[in-house]
Amino acid sequence: ARLNRIHSIFGTVDGLSGRFVSVFNYFKSLFYSKFMKPLRNGNVIHDEPPRKRFQEDFESTPLYIAVVTYINYGIMIVFGFLRDFLRRHGFEKTHASTEANDMKDFVPLYASFESFYTRNIYNRIQDVFNRPICSVPGPVIDIVERQFSKSGWMFKYTGKVLKNVVNLGSYNYLGFAENDGPCAEASIESIEKYGVGVCSSRKEMGNLDIHVKLEQKMAEYLDVEACLTFGMGFATNSMNIPCLVSKGCLIISDGLNHASLVLGCRLSGAQIRVFKHNDMKDLESKLRDAVVYGQPRTHRPWKKILIIVEGVYSMEGSIVNLPGILELKKKYKAYVFLDEAHSIGALGSRGRGVTEYFGIHPREVDIMMGTFTKSFGAAGGYIAGSRALVEHLRYHSHSACYATSMSPPVCEQIITSLHIISSTDEGKRRIKQLADNCRMFRQGLKKLGNIVYGNDDSPVVPAMIYAPTKLGAFSREMLKRGFGVVVVGFPATPIAESRVRFCISAALTEQQLQDALDAISDISDLLQMKYSKKK
Amino acid sequence: FQAPLYHYIVEGLLVVWIIRLLFFKSYKIHDKVPLTTKEKDELIEDWEPEPLVPPLEETRAVSKPYRVVSGQPGKEIVVDGYKCKNFASLNFLGFVENERISKAATECVSKYGVGSCGPRGFYGSFDVHLELEKRIAKFTGTECAIIYSYGFATIASAIPSYSKRGDILYVDEACCFAIQKGVQASRSNVVYFKHNDMEDLESKLRHQEMLDKKDVKKSSVTRKFMVVEGIYMNTGEICDLPRLVDLKYKYKVRLFVEESLSFGVLGQHGRGVTEHYNIPVEKVDMMCGSMEYSLASTGGFCCGREYVIDHQRLTGLGYVFSASLPPLLACAAIEAIDIMEEE
Ligand SMILES: Cc1ncc(COP(=O)(O)O)c(C=O)c1O
Repeated sequence: ARLNRIHSIFGTVDGLSGRFVSVFNYFKSLFYSKFMKPLRNGNVIHDEPPRKRFQEDFESTPLYIAVVTYINYGIMIVFGFLRDFLRRHGFEKTHASTEANDMKDFVPLYASFESFYTRNIYNRIQDVFNRPICSVPGPVIDIVERQFSKSGWMFKYTGKVLKNVVNLGSYNYLGFAENDGPCAEASIESIEKYGVGVCSSRKEMGNLDIHVKLEQKMAEYLDVEACLTFGMGFATNSMNIPCLVSKGCLIISDGLNHASLVLGCRLSGAQIRVFKHNDMKDLESKLRDAVVYGQPRTHRPWKKILIIVEGVYSMEGSIVNLPGILELKKKYKAYVFLDEAHSIGALGSRGRGVTEYFGIHPREVDIMMGTFTKSFGAAGGYIAGSRALVEHLRYHSHSACYATSMSPPVCEQIITSLHIISSTDEGKRRIKQLADNCRMFRQGLKKLGNIVYGNDDSPVVPAMIYAPTKLGAFSREMLKRGFGVVVVGFPATPIAESRVRFCISAALTEQQLQDALDAISDISDLLQMKYSKKK
Repeated sequence: FQAPLYHYIVEGLLVVWIIRLLFFKSYKIHDKVPLTTKEKDELIEDWEPEPLVPPLEETRAVSKPYRVVSGQPGKEIVVDGYKCKNFASLNFLGFVENERISKAATECVSKYGVGSCGPRGFYGSFDVHLELEKRIAKFTGTECAIIYSYGFATIASAIPSYSKRGDILYVDEACCFAIQKGVQASRSNVVYFKHNDMEDLESKLRHQEMLDKKDVKKSSVTRKFMVVEGIYMNTGEICDLPRLVDLKYKYKVRLFVEESLSFGVLGQHGRGVTEHYNIPVEKVDMMCGSMEYSLASTGGFCCGREYVIDHQRLTGLGYVFSASLPPLLACAAIEAIDIMEEE
């Protein structure tokens, strides 16, 4: 799983020390997952009564595609070694920057094998990442054109701008990335009133009235007792989890959790166990073992057990099986931390996230976390829940004590977009439009015969590409036809599961999506990407 | 090459044993004495976890509510309804109430909106981010700079992207909280030296040098870093940079300086502690700063040689896995640097 991979890159978390063990485990798990028992096969439908049934779809990789993909990597690795050899002996010019002259006798800053992947694989498709844009990240964007050298190592700006590229990559779910209209106007007003900077933390002189207002509105919106906001979503996770659990506690974390959650877990000092993505059986067996056998070696009971999951998984497009999780939570008396980064605003009939989607009251979840970066078109994160939780964090959270508070115009953007979502017809229209767009696009892609992962209602739509070389080709061809897409490969996905990820927005029109589907169909034929056997 | 037969047999058995060890589940005590399902259910029934957080009254008893600031937190500030002179914010250059910066930010909102809606890799790189990076590099006289969307996450992400398990970090014991978190995330071996005490630091470096001589193989792959602050957040002292640079070359330890407070404050042009001591900025491997204090915007930056800094674009956790800085805040920071240069 991805967490396992992150762990094997950054070291292990579960007490097994040494890189070798984790690398070995990684290969072992790869082996098992690929050849022994396919983790995901076909449609899994659980029997969950309320509003929405839990549904997800992970069509397994066709065997011959897996083989081709590994051969694809094999060839690139062989050439990588060859070119490394040529570079080392001066036959090929190295374009990489080098160590300062007066520091040549220091211990090298990077181990050569660590950057092998960057040098020999990533560099070849560098041009499809980090594309600079020079417009509002709305439904269409302007991309600054770059021209790459043949080797892929260097680029120059051509001075041209690719205008009106349809944006299928930004997290602009409800279309609040706008440079005019009520949100932008309100933000501009708040710049006049407050300025841009705050220069102090919430605990000192940085607790502005506007922050207090935002927290009240957000708590009302989520229908919980209280809410606390932070300036960055990533830090909301990584700096607050350590305030909730510590040594002697157990974290049970979904295998595909975001890096910020993984970091938070690691900083907390608690034991970490990972369960297979969205697999309730595996979670239950981990919970059961944990409660029955207690802490390893000492066999003392755990102080508390925290289950950490996300609402919508940003690389798989799946939605958490929340009813299943809550049932286990009750049975085993664990606590639940739910990261709604991609689901708040984007799911549920009134945009209140996965809890609403499943018809569950948010109060049943202990810790509701989310970010403002996505649906709200702003920046920052929040944690909501009981008053005791929020007050505890308010006084102990590292982020609230040491980090500068949110900039007023950003705060105002959230307040305004929140108002539009929660109490206007425009908000309702956007939420409905998003749901319609998702359905249309996802079903369209499936009809084309591409393998699409995840839940039918999720606004994140990953379509599988598999081979890393096709990754670059797909993105370039799409850009040629006027569509900006996000392609992701290792290490953000399993090594043989490179994919393209579309993020659907309410601001996109049906026509734009239809055109996109046509272009995708065209390119999928070209790259032979219509892998699905279901069609 | 003649070995007795028993030798082959023993080695063969060893190989089989190793394979068995590798492929079989580890030995667990509870496999030996299995509990019945009923016993397990009873254990589960019995277990009572601690509450997630202490009860509300307990938290309330040890803490004060936040003070509420109404309006702009500039040199005049209204705190809980009292009008005060502000001696508490880190608004060193008075940029919070600067008209030019507000104007630049306003224009930026009219062009780009507020949020960036994506991480730097995926359509979250705006031209203003690239410009800001260039301006910071030019202002500090370094080769390149990288910006983060949160000051706190800057050094906390930068340290673990270089220093890994097995490496050694020499850290001042009075260092700020963000450094502590970065150090913890890196899982390196940490050696704390006495606050601003160069003798203590040197003795620790010398000690390590002795150990290194004994184990040359290990020391040839053990990276070493010193992490200090320009002006210490906790004590207000300035670090002894000339001595640190000497030690860096003498003991071959890389030097990271966290300049959140000293950037925009020390030196003739506000370039920080290197300018304060007149030391060429190349002597420092990485300089990290915050745009949240002197520049009155949000976010942080690291700058230095391209060889060092570019690495973070793929490994800095807070850079890769988080949405980029809202463009309006980048514009505000650019304008603030312009003003620093002009005025
Ligand atoms: C699940 C999850 N949590 C947290 C974050 C971080 O949020 P932010 O971009 O606001 O730092 C992300 C962003 O990609 C995410 O996907």
